[in-house]
Amino acid sequence: MEYWPWWLGAIGLAAVSVLNFLLLGRLLGVSGSWAKVVGWRDNQERSAELKSLAENKSGMDDALLAETLAEFGEASLQELGNESDTEISSSPVITGEQHTPWTVHFVFLFFMFIGGLLAALMSGNFKLELTLSPIHSQIFGADWEVWLALLSGGVMVGFGTQMAGGCTSGHGLSGCARLIPASLVATVTFMLSAMLLSFMMEASLR
Amino acid sequence: MKPIIKQYIFYAFLGLAMGFVVARIGFANYDELHRMFIFADLRMLFSFIGAVVLSMLILALFSKKIPKQNKIFQPGTIPGSMLFGFGWAISGACPSLVFVQLGSGKLAAIFTLVGIYLGVLLHKKIHARYFRWDTGSCGV
Repeated sequence: MEYWPWWLGAIGLAAVSVLNFLLLGRLLGVSGSWAKVVGWRDNQERSAELKSLAENKSGMDDALLAETLAEFGEASLQELGNESDTEISSSPVITGEQHTPWTVHFVFLFFMFIGGLLAALMSGNFKLELTLSPIHSQIFGADWEVWLALLSGGVMVGFGTQMAGGCTSGHGLSGCARLIPASLVATVTFMLSAMLLSFMMEASLR
Repeated sequence: MKPIIKQYIFYAFLGLAMGFVVARIGFANYDELHRMFIFADLRMLFSFIGAVVLSMLILALFSKKIPKQNKIFQPGTIPGSMLFGFGWAISGACPSLVFVQLGSGKLAAIFTLVGIYLGVLLHKKIHARYFRWDTGSCGV
């Protein structure tokens, strides 16, 4: 595959990052989607909770009203006026607008696969392979060793990104673009760690 | 259009765009990535840094509208990032790259996929039982 020059890649990635904000109103973060998909059961429970809250909203408003009357008397209601109505109805916790079901995150991850597939097919570079790459096999050896390395590397990536609260997209792209201190520290740390180990693996080849 | 349908379409579109762009840059190719990490070829690093700077400039225009990100410095920030960095160097995958590797036909990335799933699950269990600090989760 003929890869994009660095500036085109920068424009493409920045476009994805900005579009993510413009379309969804939040910044890009892939490990967050992973957490939602892996924790699908919690996510489902929360969905059901929010739904029943939304359904019981009128009932709850009545209860709140009755409670207010009992506690403070009628004068307090007039004092509050319309203010209280608008406050209650615009609360996102009750309407559940902020909640994204895990299936949406699953679709997001799945379409990343489709995007990679399209790029490979369109450039005529799609080839099924049982290993990752020539250098990777050189470093790790036989096929089963490659697979074992990938499995354990994957566990480290999964555990590490959750522990750090973000990954290349969340900390690296979104967090650094907003100059968030924790994200800058995280990005420098994972880049340096990856470089250090890569240098060591490269040295092991000689 | 119902808001939930719109969400599905937007997320699908963004996933597609992200996967495509990342593949065309070359991040799914372990050899390219390895050469970036040992400073033999800095093209992809420049793409990444360029993207950070560009989105910084564009997002600054909307800075009042961007929800405050819950990204705090917590006890897991540094050890977690180190673990992720080592894992990235070994598997060539971050949480999004693994899908792009699979898309370009690298069947071996299935092992990485299973590994990441287990890693996320393991962290969920261990965090709930032992760590319990606020990780400032990524995204909503």
